[in-house]
Amino acid sequence: MRRRRDPAAPRWTIHLFWMPAMALFIAFFALPTFQALQYALTDWDGYSADFNNVGLDNFVRVLTADSLFRNALINNVKFLLVVLLVQTVMSLILAIALMRNTRTSILLRALYFFPTILSSVSVAFIWKFVYDPSFGLANGVLSALTALPRMLGFDVAAPTLNYLGNDATAIYWVALAQCWAHIGQMMVVFVAGLQQVPRELYEAAAIDGAGAFSRFLHITLPQIAPALTIVVAYTTIQSFKAFDLILGMSGIPPKQSLDILSTRIYTTFTNNEYGYAAAESLVFMALIAAVTFVQRKGLSRLGREDR
Amino acid sequence: MPTLPRRSFLLAAAALGAGALTACAGPGSTAQRPGNQPVATGTPEGTVSFAHWRAEDRETFDKLAQAFAAATPGVTVAQDITPSNDYQSQALNRLRGGQVGDVFPTFRGAQFEQFVAAGVYLDLSEQDLVKNYETSLIEAGSQGGKQWGVPYQVVFNMPVSNLDALERAGISENPRDWDGFLQLLDRLRGAGLTPMAWPGGDIGNAGQLFNSMVMNNAPSDDACAQIEEGTVKVTDPWFIQTLNQYAQLRPYFQPNSTGTGSEAVQQLFASGQAGMLVTGSYHIAAVRALGAQFPVDVLSPITTAADAAKYEGVHNATFILGLNAASSVQPAALAWLQFLSDPANAGTYANDTVQHVTVKGVRYENADLNQLAPWLTRRTMLAPRFQFLDLDIRNAVEGSTIEVVGGAQPEQAAEKAQRIIDERI
Repeated sequence: MRRRRDPAAPRWTIHLFWMPAMALFIAFFALPTFQALQYALTDWDGYSADFNNVGLDNFVRVLTADSLFRNALINNVKFLLVVLLVQTVMSLILAIALMRNTRTSILLRALYFFPTILSSVSVAFIWKFVYDPSFGLANGVLSALTALPRMLGFDVAAPTLNYLGNDATAIYWVALAQCWAHIGQMMVVFVAGLQQVPRELYEAAAIDGAGAFSRFLHITLPQIAPALTIVVAYTTIQSFKAFDLILGMSGIPPKQSLDILSTRIYTTFTNNEYGYAAAESLVFMALIAAVTFVQRKGLSRLGREDR
Repeated sequence: MPTLPRRSFLLAAAALGAGALTACAGPGSTAQRPGNQPVATGTPEGTVSFAHWRAEDRETFDKLAQAFAAATPGVTVAQDITPSNDYQSQALNRLRGGQVGDVFPTFRGAQFEQFVAAGVYLDLSEQDLVKNYETSLIEAGSQGGKQWGVPYQVVFNMPVSNLDALERAGISENPRDWDGFLQLLDRLRGAGLTPMAWPGGDIGNAGQLFNSMVMNNAPSDDACAQIEEGTVKVTDPWFIQTLNQYAQLRPYFQPNSTGTGSEAVQQLFASGQAGMLVTGSYHIAAVRALGAQFPVDVLSPITTAADAAKYEGVHNATFILGLNAASSVQPAALAWLQFLSDPANAGTYANDTVQHVTVKGVRYENADLNQLAPWLTRRTMLAPRFQFLDLDIRNAVEGSTIEVVGGAQPEQAAEKAQRIIDERI
């Protein structure tokens, strides 16, 4: 017996709306990812006609037997933590300070946003010169700070820091350069979020006797949770992929102290280990997904506080 | 109108994706490449695609291409220039198609080896043009007894010295042993100069000193290749000795040298504040552009006693020119390579680009090229650092030298490097 069509059921043409997006997703994301998986199971060198299937060996090596990958991961986590903390806090402070649409605020917002429009390589070269221990601005400023005590007769030696030459701290200095470049961009996201917070909430809280910090903690922060989620997720992904900055400041391959996951994977490709690099890339992708997932879970709890 | 449930659509999309995935070729290609053969003979005709990365040489090559076209009717040359990083990563696949790069260069080391292995180079061993080159300078283009390419440029990857500064410090000739080199450094320091401007923050340029430091210390000329094979270790006494010598050099570098980039040390040298620029002759043009007026030469530390020193310095041959096996205009491509191998044309290239070349009988007009020209026939070693084909191993070994200059103990730095090498062998 022929089934009667439910008149409320959508017509097949409705599927034409999602199919183009799905086709693009399959062509430009799903297939390359599957192909990366295919490569990751081989020892292909990137150019030979021959290769061997090695099963999960590449993944086992990435996760258990590659100290360079582990070193890059540790560097990347250090980089991420500094950028996440400094960039988020500084951009939020600037956004609160420049939230009003006065002429001065708009001018200052434009100035703080300016580094964002520079290419990462330009930022890298600017900061490479800033950090140069012989001629750089950073040591120049430190030296100038000691000028006054010296004029007053105190025997104060001008401190000179070896910013990128100290393996223990080099990655933190690069992280600060990354913050400089992107604080303005994140500030704009926060400004948009802050301008959406209803003023009545602050007025009611003020009547209830809430102080400034309490208002920030219980009104501002939950209200801007969506903006905060965007900032944190974007900063995280950006920190994992800060390839150009390292390339400009240290060259490829970089010193071990500046090697992060993206530069590590690039070096592996350059070493003609295509299959292994594909495995590294997939682990890298999974790491970003996991970190972003955990962050989103945490931030969504914060967002629920205002309900 | 018929309806199609969403689940059916998703299944169809998944099937489409799986089908496409299955259709995707696996890694690599099963097509066999024709390379590693002699050059095809015939009348030169057509357009020769000359692929390379040296955008700064475009005008000179244009000038040479015009002269070539005038002398060879029916043949023209079109340059296909890509940035060096892109060339490193993409050239092989682009050239294998044969659409570009009838004549092409490779970098020495990993890229050259990769191109030979992939069969892209045609065998030049029997070509007369090879006789135009200084034999000792083109070994980087040979492998397995065959000459696959001809290295065109020569650079000296050893410290550049300020001859005025050396004269002021009372030094008239290059030291012949390690003690003499340390005395030279003391005298430069005594003259109020930074003896060595070294870019320890730029591992690519910092590693050039490694060439001079190991050329006479290493147990064999292929020691770096053996490190990569695991038959020689960086924890062996000769390398620990080398690292100890790096430690001896600590007081002679500029302060915080491990964080200094190459631009800063060029400035230090060009301004006359440093006696030596510890990179290579390829930076001479840059320091001239920064205003350096003083005469320069190159000077390599000899790390052994004078009678134990096998080499006086280091050279490297880059830009290894070859012919593409997939080229459809091989006779024309060969004619272009022959043209570039002529001493007069090579001289045009050398003088216009301020680079030494491997072609014999070239007249150098530039004062700096003339000053350094005698080094073309002196006992110099082909830069050993480029024997490393694995960038991670090279980084680990050269990184250990930077760590030692930064204060690490030689034995600890060597062990750390060896651990990485062991992982990668």
